[in-house]
Amino acid sequence: MEEKLQVSRLIKTYADKTVLNGINFTVHNGEFLSVLGPSGCGKTTLLRILIGIEPFDSGHIQKDGEEISNLPPNARGMGIVFQNYALFPNMSVLQNVMYPLKFQPKLKKNAKSIALDIIEKVGLTEHIGKKPNKLSGGQQQRVAIARTLALSPDIVLFDEPMSALDAANRVALRKEIKEIQAKFGITMIYITHDQEEAFSMSDRVIVMDEGNIVQMDTPYEVYHHPANDYVEQFVTCHLKEKISSIQESVGGVR
Amino acid sequence: MTKSRTLSLSVKLVLTAFFMVTVFLPIISMFSKINWATIGSIVNTATFGQTVFNSLSVTICATIISVITAYLLAFAINHSRIPCKGALSILITLPMLIPSISHGLGLINLFGENGLLTNLLGIPSNLYGFNGILIGSVMYSFPVAFLMLSDAMKYADETIYEAARVLGIPKGSRFFSVTLPYMKRPLISATFAVFTMVFTDYGVPLSIGGRFVTLPVYLYTEVIGLQDFSRGAFIGLLLLIPAIITFLIDLRKKDNEGMGFASKSIRIERNRLRDILLGLFCVLVIGFVLLVLVSFAIMTFIGKYPYDMSFTLRHIQEVMDKGLGEFFSNSLLISILVALIGTVVGYITAYVTARTESRVVSRILHLTSISSLAIPGIVLGLGYVICFSGSFLYGTIFILVLVNIIHFFSSPYMMAHNAMKKLNPNFEDVGKTLCVGRLRLLRDVFIPNTLDTIAEMFGYFFVNSMITISAVAFLYNTRTMPLAILINQLEGDMMFEAAAFVSMIILLSNILAKIVIAGVKKFCKYRLAK
Ligand SMILES: Nc1ncnc2c1ncn2[C@@H]1O[C@H](COP(=O)(O)OP(=O)(O)OP(=O)(O)O)[C@@H](O)[C@H]1O
Ligand SMILES: [Mg+2]
Repeated sequence: MEEKLQVSRLIKTYADKTVLNGINFTVHNGEFLSVLGPSGCGKTTLLRILIGIEPFDSGHIQKDGEEISNLPPNARGMGIVFQNYALFPNMSVLQNVMYPLKFQPKLKKNAKSIALDIIEKVGLTEHIGKKPNKLSGGQQQRVAIARTLALSPDIVLFDEPMSALDAANRVALRKEIKEIQAKFGITMIYITHDQEEAFSMSDRVIVMDEGNIVQMDTPYEVYHHPANDYVEQFVTCHLKEKISSIQESVGGVR
Repeated sequence: MTKSRTLSLSVKLVLTAFFMVTVFLPIISMFSKINWATIGSIVNTATFGQTVFNSLSVTICATIISVITAYLLAFAINHSRIPCKGALSILITLPMLIPSISHGLGLINLFGENGLLTNLLGIPSNLYGFNGILIGSVMYSFPVAFLMLSDAMKYADETIYEAARVLGIPKGSRFFSVTLPYMKRPLISATFAVFTMVFTDYGVPLSIGGRFVTLPVYLYTEVIGLQDFSRGAFIGLLLLIPAIITFLIDLRKKDNEGMGFASKSIRIERNRLRDILLGLFCVLVIGFVLLVLVSFAIMTFIGKYPYDMSFTLRHIQEVMDKGLGEFFSNSLLISILVALIGTVVGYITAYVTARTESRVVSRILHLTSISSLAIPGIVLGLGYVICFSGSFLYGTIFILVLVNIIHFFSSPYMMAHNAMKKLNPNFEDVGKTLCVGRLRLLRDVFIPNTLDTIAEMFGYFFVNSMITISAVAFLYNTRTMPLAILINQLEGDMMFEAAAFVSMIILLSNILAKIVIAGVKKFCKYRLAK
């Protein structure tokens, strides 16, 4: 399998705290990789370092075999979708997607047609003139994805994109994200709290704990052969949480 | 990347240097003027003791009345079911549109020896001195306290009241156990803010203080009349004390106060008696405010109350002869320049402190920006005289513009700062990954999304520059004199009718400005929501 992204011995410390403790992993081309872990274990930090908006202490990041850690974020061929989407509230769907294209000398001329094409692919054509506050959470998410895809990255990073949505939407949107991935043929790295989400979407899952990767494997392996007690507990405890929350919401309906 | 780093660093350096020169340098040079050897002889005089006592007694009384009035009004607007709350709020804040000196003048119109009311009701006048300063100071300060308290109440969270209801806390003690503790901080803030405002104001005491001299008037006469800068600076130091305490209290509050967003708006229970009483109180206060404002119009157009009741334009002519046109255009020019430059500087500073990483510089800039709030206008003015009297700025209109920008900087700065903090924290990151630089984001995202805040900042600078006399009184000359100062001069010449007319012009200009700003804000909201 082709190696798309290779991270080795990545170390990040804030003042007195080690947030990433020499992390190694490889992402395959076209893969959907989830990063799972409790709050504060360094997931967001990892993503921010990968895309280049956060400096790190030492280590290497290679994409397609080339070191990219010295490149600025916009030259890495990566996109990111933030938890809160960070859409520009004063711009319509079309303007949001077109906006970054305007500053690309090569793409400037075709900005509109590129944007229209992507908006169609993510299924937002009928909402093209609306401002973000007139869209549902799931639609906003798709705008954010479209805006990122406009610059045709080959890796897209997601930082808990579902956490702003309600439970019913989340399940439907899993499928949509996967469809978008297939349509554009891109690699995705996806951060989540939710092990069920990670297991149902991913080719492989990384489980993190306090700046370390404790397991990296297929969902099946992680579930059936957890590497250690921590992973087992993390997986089952979240499953229990899930079940009790489902019970709660069912009870709430009646 | 490095280019934008250099740009942001140089912006920060320029701003820091700007505040060093415009805030700290004047204050430091003022203190350096104090000749401590002679201070003892000032402090030990009976006049000085009397002045301090005068200031404290009238300020404490005015603060108590002002805050209680403001609290009741804020409560009526936020926790009762009286009608027309929007209109009432606007009327309550009308006094903020005229100079403090005009409040004194309005009271003279109504309650002076030959005042409209004293004459009508045939009661003896006992206005000049403590009474007049007290009422005038309350008039001038309660709208500010009202805005502070009303803001806090607006964001009060219904859930705490719900919890209180669920816990079965009886209505009466709910006020003491829930409302009051929740309002404690805003009340303390408002109390200190009003205390400082009244303590350092000299517009009201100057116009109706009579022989009742307060510290700011003492400072004013020492400096302007006797050119004694050492004494002036020493009193300036005294005036700075409550202002600094207020600042420190607000600093603690602002630091640990998240953005107050009500998760649920307050449910107001039905209570007729409460509504009637509070409604009546609102009407009384507003009635009094309107009486003062209307008195300007009556005085302007009547020959000489109560002797000559004929309609006349004579007083308008008198003011024209005094050079109304020139002073009015001075005021407009100053206010527009202050509003333009102040808004730009305030906005950029807020952008730097709210949206850039470097914590130390941002922190310093932020503290400096809000600390300008702590410096009373009178102290700032004195500092500017001492610091800049030899410079090229002195005697030009720009020194007035500069001193007003600094004097009124802190509130508009905080408006912009809060507005930008509320915008998505990831915009810059998004920009970096999409190859959109900070300046482009500023132009295409930040400014379009904060246009209503910008309009509000502009309005704040404009209105306050139109009414201020405290700082500019030390710095104007005959060519650059603003309109508000003219009121003081006309009063000095016993031309109360003419002074009333000038007050009315300032009031009307500010009402017009407010209407325009409100229109612009509506339009911005509409465009954003479209
Ligand atoms: N700018 C910063 N300065 C200091 N410490 C930071 C900073 N940013 C993050 N941290 C710390 O680094 C650790 C990892 O943070 P990170 O945001 O990566 O966690 P996370 O796994 O994304 O958590 P969550 O699931 O809550 O989003 C946390 O302990 C956090 O407090
Ligand atoms: Mg995170």
